[in-house]
Amino acid sequence: MSYFFQLVISGVVVGSIYALSALGFVLIYKSSRVLNLAHGQIIAAGAFIAYALTVWVGIHIAVSFIMSMIITFFLAMSVERVFLRRLIGEPIISVIMVTIGLMSIIDGIIYLTPFGAGNFSFPEFLPKVPITFWGVSLSWTQMVGVIITFIMIGGFSWFFKASTVGISMRAVSDDQFASMSIGISVPKVFGLAWATAGLSAAAAGGIIGNITGLNFNVLHSFGIIVFPVVIVGGLDSIFGAIVAGIIMGLIQQFAAGYLDGKWGLHGTADVLPYIILLIILLFKPHGLFGIHEIERV
Amino acid sequence: MRNRRITFMLVVLSFLLILGFSVQAVAGETYKMGLSLAITGPTSDAGDPYSKGVEDYIKYVNDEKLLGDDKVECFIRDDGYKTEVTKRNFEDFLDENIVFYLNYSTGSTLALKPDFEEEKIPVLPASFHAGNLVDSKYIFLPIASYSSQAVGLAEYVANNYKGNGKAKVAMFIHPSAFGRASYDDVKKAIDAGLNIELVEIVEHGKDLDNTAMLKRLKSKGVQYVISHTVQPPVATLLKSAQSLDMIASTYGEEGKITFMGAHYAGGPGLIALAGSAAENYYWVTSYKLMSAKGPGTDAQHALAKRYGRDDKLANDSNYTNGIMVAQVAVEAMRRAKARGNKVTRASLYEEMVSMNGYNAYYPLTTVGPVTYSKTDREGVDTLQLYVAKDGVFHELGLPFSPEYVKKIK
Amino acid sequence: MSENRWLATGNFFTSYRAEQRIFLTNFDRLLFTCFLVLLFVWPLVFEVSNKYMLVIDSILIAIVAVYGLNLLTGFAGLISIGHAAFVGVGAYTLATFARILGGDHVLLTHFWPLMIMLAGGVGAVIGAIVGLPSLRLKHLYLVIATLSFQMIFQWIINFSKFFNQGQTIAVGRVFWFTGKVGRSEHYFFWYYVILVIVIILGFGVRNLLRTKHGRCLVAVRDNDRAADAMGMHPGFTKVYAFALAGFFAGVAGALHAYLWRGVGFESFLLHHSITYLAMAIVGGLGTLVGSFLGPAAILMLELQVENLAEFVGHYFTALGDVATAFRPLSFGLVIVLFLMFEPRGIANWWRIVRSYFKLWPFRY
Repeated sequence: MSYFFQLVISGVVVGSIYALSALGFVLIYKSSRVLNLAHGQIIAAGAFIAYALTVWVGIHIAVSFIMSMIITFFLAMSVERVFLRRLIGEPIISVIMVTIGLMSIIDGIIYLTPFGAGNFSFPEFLPKVPITFWGVSLSWTQMVGVIITFIMIGGFSWFFKASTVGISMRAVSDDQFASMSIGISVPKVFGLAWATAGLSAAAAGGIIGNITGLNFNVLHSFGIIVFPVVIVGGLDSIFGAIVAGIIMGLIQQFAAGYLDGKWGLHGTADVLPYIILLIILLFKPHGLFGIHEIERV
Repeated sequence: MRNRRITFMLVVLSFLLILGFSVQAVAGETYKMGLSLAITGPTSDAGDPYSKGVEDYIKYVNDEKLLGDDKVECFIRDDGYKTEVTKRNFEDFLDENIVFYLNYSTGSTLALKPDFEEEKIPVLPASFHAGNLVDSKYIFLPIASYSSQAVGLAEYVANNYKGNGKAKVAMFIHPSAFGRASYDDVKKAIDAGLNIELVEIVEHGKDLDNTAMLKRLKSKGVQYVISHTVQPPVATLLKSAQSLDMIASTYGEEGKITFMGAHYAGGPGLIALAGSAAENYYWVTSYKLMSAKGPGTDAQHALAKRYGRDDKLANDSNYTNGIMVAQVAVEAMRRAKARGNKVTRASLYEEMVSMNGYNAYYPLTTVGPVTYSKTDREGVDTLQLYVAKDGVFHELGLPFSPEYVKKIK
Repeated sequence: MSENRWLATGNFFTSYRAEQRIFLTNFDRLLFTCFLVLLFVWPLVFEVSNKYMLVIDSILIAIVAVYGLNLLTGFAGLISIGHAAFVGVGAYTLATFARILGGDHVLLTHFWPLMIMLAGGVGAVIGAIVGLPSLRLKHLYLVIATLSFQMIFQWIINFSKFFNQGQTIAVGRVFWFTGKVGRSEHYFFWYYVILVIVIILGFGVRNLLRTKHGRCLVAVRDNDRAADAMGMHPGFTKVYAFALAGFFAGVAGALHAYLWRGVGFESFLLHHSITYLAMAIVGGLGTLVGSFLGPAAILMLELQVENLAEFVGHYFTALGDVATAFRPLSFGLVIVLFLMFEPRGIANWWRIVRSYFKLWPFRY
């Protein structure tokens, strides 16, 4: 039984990281209908910036974590301003391809730095003894990761519900013309959406960097797993992203725990999110919590 | 009289002309080699230092005139770990008429195997995959294959097991041909009498967290995990194990798991990635580590300093690897020349297969001699066990040669 | 005013059939024939090294694959990030035969045209199956469904023992009427084979676009509800589009397997899907000419970047890291710059040049 609980706890931990990464993704889609395929790269960039600040400049890790979030905030905003502002109104395929191009550009820039090829690890600042309760173990880094994730998710939910800027972002995602007519600056909102996405990406990157160590290729593949999470949750639902993130984390852990090794299966945790994705899309074509556009073929 | 003078002049002139051309011929040839590897892209943390090792050694050979008047030219190209690009680079090198080829990735070595056989060119890849030697005559492994290393580790476990019954071992391998070959050979060794019990083989995916797997292994009573994969998955594994407080702090500690790994599943890069979770990790390879002092270490430092490389590179184990393969290639060329043969693919192949017994080659970079023969195309057969203590790998014991490797051949 | 069939002096069509001619003027047809003759003759005249022949062959194979992707994404409007998986399906069909019968079996080496068509057929079937979600999913959800197909394909190949777990499965050298195609003629021979296939399939695509089925694709892209109202079946059309893309990709995969004499899973990754999509877009989405120009541009760019990187690495060794970051940087920059400034791709430039010459020496 404790094996099962261990899997659940690990699943929630991993899932909340997925949720945090998916959050940024959904933010961008919700306000500007853009599928940002370069999100994984922004997560990696955020992680490396945090590392550089901690190890090369010597700032304490908590401070550099926040600083990397701020830097990535502005980075993402400038990316939107430079590359995507021109593409408002273009067909969706163009916008997706631009983000794919951005993926390669950010890749290239990271290769220019020494981070492209090499293994790095954050200095350890938390006690190494794991927390154990009821036969389940959790490391301090994972615990801190989960706490930060939930704080950020709570923060974002409050932001969207209560603050003026958040409400204007929701307005823009609902109907661009109507929001323009009441005086909301739509391009500014787009920039802000990307910036907040960058914020959450840097947070996710910092947490992942602490848990697994920094290797660009690992972070690369992490960026791909965000897509099934987002789609299962529904592209325009923040709540959906959180739920789907945790579900995916749980599914992966259960697959690794119960399926691997039997019937000669290996690495099922990698493929199961995609299979689950296809199954869910069969029944709910707009994801679990996405807005359902009534269309029949 | 006048005719005679003219004839004499003509004879002298033609003599001088012939002399002029023949002087050109003895001015020194250039032997060409090719290397296609991942300087960027996946595994470039190993590929980048490797390429610099080869480059520096070749420069050294030319500067010190180790081959007399002849020079060696090595074309180094980046393929980003993509097999298509490697193949393209190989075709390009063939157009340049290379006589020796250094390859890198397992995938491309296997894909190009039929080409190597057709072109009859000796190849020394950075991949120690035993499958490279199947159906091929021209591929030589620099050191013991991954399979031999895994068998060596398994042997060490069997020999040092103090409990009753058999040691329970699990293997953690890379989900590709690179990972699987080692476990086939460990299985064969067990069939040939190796006294361990292989509880489970885990092919890892891109997991962020190995808790489930570790708990499962623990519940099956596994005490030793032999890893054969690249560094990042091992680092994730070790970090997960550390958070579950599962890492043995001494060899074979009861109730805990001792983690061990073959060549690419360890090294200073692993310590950089896993931090304190890599404490007490056992690693086996045939190369000398820069943390062990000796003539090899000094020579490597001197080489790095001579060509302006930084300290991090000078201490990198992949820099050692690169130097070593270049050393073997140049040595083969030197021997061919010493025998009075022209340096061609065929003569180099002959030199490679006769590098055994009294003709074994002792580069300073490895723990044992490089021996090749028609039946044994694994270079250095001896392995050295290292253990990570205080963030550095230290030698443990003397170099040894696993016996079961010979038994399963 | 009578119609002049040699020069385009105006629109004087008197029947639909005339308007739908592939070559609007006889002059066009003549130029095209000369170009074709040139394509067939130039390797006999110029000596090209194996490496460049390999690059050219790769470009031609990419053209075949991009035909399919262009039909799917450009004409039917269904974005797919799983195209490399379809190509892989074609290649692995051959690999299945190689695994069961042996890489040098007669079927593979003597009946290779049959095998190529069979691979195309298998690709079409798998394409249709993967296209089934398009009956329910729209736009971005469909994109991610194709992504999942790509990932599932990668996982199946990598973990199944039958496919040698991703390792290369060797395919032998083929036989032609003159005997075995040896090493030195290999790239040369396949250049002609692939060129013939490109031309035949190119005509096929062009023809498709002037038939009912082609118009159906475009109609469904533009407004599938209106198309439904007009009596077309949007669902069937979408699955049909996927099947077509699968067919072209399957053929490309089989050619890839024969050219590289082996099938390994490293050639069919997500990165390759993205490259195919980039080729389609940089070339010009929704145009036939784009299918030619896109792959040529992207693959030539990669080659030049490699040369540049090697050059820089050779002479300025300290900048070695900079040079090797060029490849993803240039790839991304090309895509982004094209989309920002020339969203209709290189085919647009071709169109402008062509219309200039059509009316030359007149300006308008």
